Amino acid sequence: MRAMFSDAPRVTLAAFYWAFILYLLLPLTLMMAMSFKDANFVAFPIGDWTFDWYGEVMQDKQFLEACLYSIMIAAATTLAATILGVWISMLIVAEGIRGQVIIFALACLPAVVPGMISAISLRIFISTIDMPTGTAAIILGHTVHAVPFVVVMALTRLRSMPGNLVDAARDLGADSVVAFFRVTLPYLGPALFGGMIFCVLLSIDDFVRTFFLGGYRLTLPMLIFAKVQGGMSPEINAMATLVLVVTAAVGLYAEHLTRRARTR
Amino acid sequence: MVSSNTTAQDRARSDASVPRYSTRIATVINSALYRHTLGAAVESRIGRVILLAGVPLIWLIMLHVGPIYQMLKISLLSHYPVQPGMESHFTLDNYAIFFRESLYFTPLIKSFIFATAATAVTLIVVYPVAYYVAKVVKPQGRSRALLLLLVPFWAGELIRTFSVIMLLANRGAVNVLLREVGLIDRPIPMLYTSFSLGFGLVYLICLYMLLPLYSAIEKIPSPLLDAAADLGAGPFTRFRRIILPLSRDGIVSGCCLVFLTCIGVFATPMLLGGPTTVLFPETISGFFHGASDKWPVGAAFALIMLVTALAAAAIFMRLVGGRKKRAI
Repeated sequence: MRAMFSDAPRVTLAAFYWAFILYLLLPLTLMMAMSFKDANFVAFPIGDWTFDWYGEVMQDKQFLEACLYSIMIAAATTLAATILGVWISMLIVAEGIRGQVIIFALACLPAVVPGMISAISLRIFISTIDMPTGTAAIILGHTVHAVPFVVVMALTRLRSMPGNLVDAARDLGADSVVAFFRVTLPYLGPALFGGMIFCVLLSIDDFVRTFFLGGYRLTLPMLIFAKVQGGMSPEINAMATLVLVVTAAVGLYAEHLTRRARTR
Repeated sequence: MVSSNTTAQDRARSDASVPRYSTRIATVINSALYRHTLGAAVESRIGRVILLAGVPLIWLIMLHVGPIYQMLKISLLSHYPVQPGMESHFTLDNYAIFFRESLYFTPLIKSFIFATAATAVTLIVVYPVAYYVAKVVKPQGRSRALLLLLVPFWAGELIRTFSVIMLLANRGAVNVLLREVGLIDRPIPMLYTSFSLGFGLVYLICLYMLLPLYSAIEKIPSPLLDAAADLGAGPFTRFRRIILPLSRDGIVSGCCLVFLTCIGVFATPMLLGGPTTVLFPETISGFFHGASDKWPVGAAFALIMLVTALAAAAIFMRLVGGRKKRAI
């Protein structure tokens, strides 16, 4: 009797969990299934199945260009955000410097400002410094967005670092720069790699900053947005499915790496 | 084999006067260029401070504070960008416009209602899930249970929004299924309504609620729950007296994160909402595309939104979070 009672909440929770998983996965599954529909309109039931839309997408020059452009922006963003993020977190953990709480708050500011407002303030900012909209502006915007996440990830790792590691390097004759590159940076390694992949996903996913800062070249989210507004076709589903599969694979790989780093 | 090799190399180098390093860094470190620039800079304390703090401080002040400051500055101007032959002067009129016209006032109210409702629904829906993964699932299965929840979030904002259309459209899965079953004759219009927007928002943001809740609940010591159970507390009492108070931090940070994200969402209302669900970001965006001389008004509106949203989050933190020392 007692066992039955204590089991009831457990079973209810499990059922709720699986219902929630279903809720999360159902729309994406439907979207993927629709990419195989053999008709040029989006509607259920699917009826005949085909792979044709994927062939179409792979020959779509606009899509391939958008892919390359997004990847290029993500790579530049990740590089810049990682360097800046690590640099800022080094400043926050440094000894003998005051106002670290303020520096940390400033570093996290872009993560608290809602995306839309961040995009607008950046749009205004680049116009005040006479910077044209376009690739450089997008990279700048994405970097501002990504830096707080790198800072938080690097800080977590830096705080767990034994202080005597750097001291030992200094005793052995390394100056601060050498100690950073030979001791601190390798120690940050795994956490940093996870952070970098997160930057890539943030940049590839970003719509609102690109919308305000971009020029005429379309990134992936911009292309999908334009296509959805232009009218539904299973081609968009095929496109979105391809992007989803690739980003999910990258995300899964990052998750795997960070987990391995944590258990080691 | 390898180690004896390195020691032999080290021994061969030990008589040199300059410090040596066993990697390629050595060539850089020992080059004249390095010793006269960076190497010299780190010798003195002031050089080290500049090297450490220079770039980060410039970046933080220029790009984390700069844009907000410029937005504030422009929101107080009468014209921007300044056209030739036009004078721009200081004014508070851009802010006054907001309070004069309900056309602008209503979208902000709607934004707040949607964000608040989405936050509340997300909290209620996600809390049991987070609790299940953190406390009911056995530790070895926990990361897999968590991973399954993360998968959809690698899809990105736009693709997730798009996938909701598949579910809710007139010829989407739900309507077609209901018609097949015979419950309805004609499709229920769900897309481009408040419902589809709310549904999409919750779908978009539930992860931001899940992770803070999960880490807060996971930290609650299980023996505490067992002790309470031994002392006769039923599941509801245990939840109310132990789990809920101890997961308060997670609730506060999850709700703030979700609320601030919802307020700033731009693409989702444009794809899932209809004419009756024009939210504030869309209103603001109108001032930047098309007639460019309305930039100051847009800047003022964005600031109004930023201040009210942060104030709402701060009030919530104060009310629910209580007085607590904030840790970095």
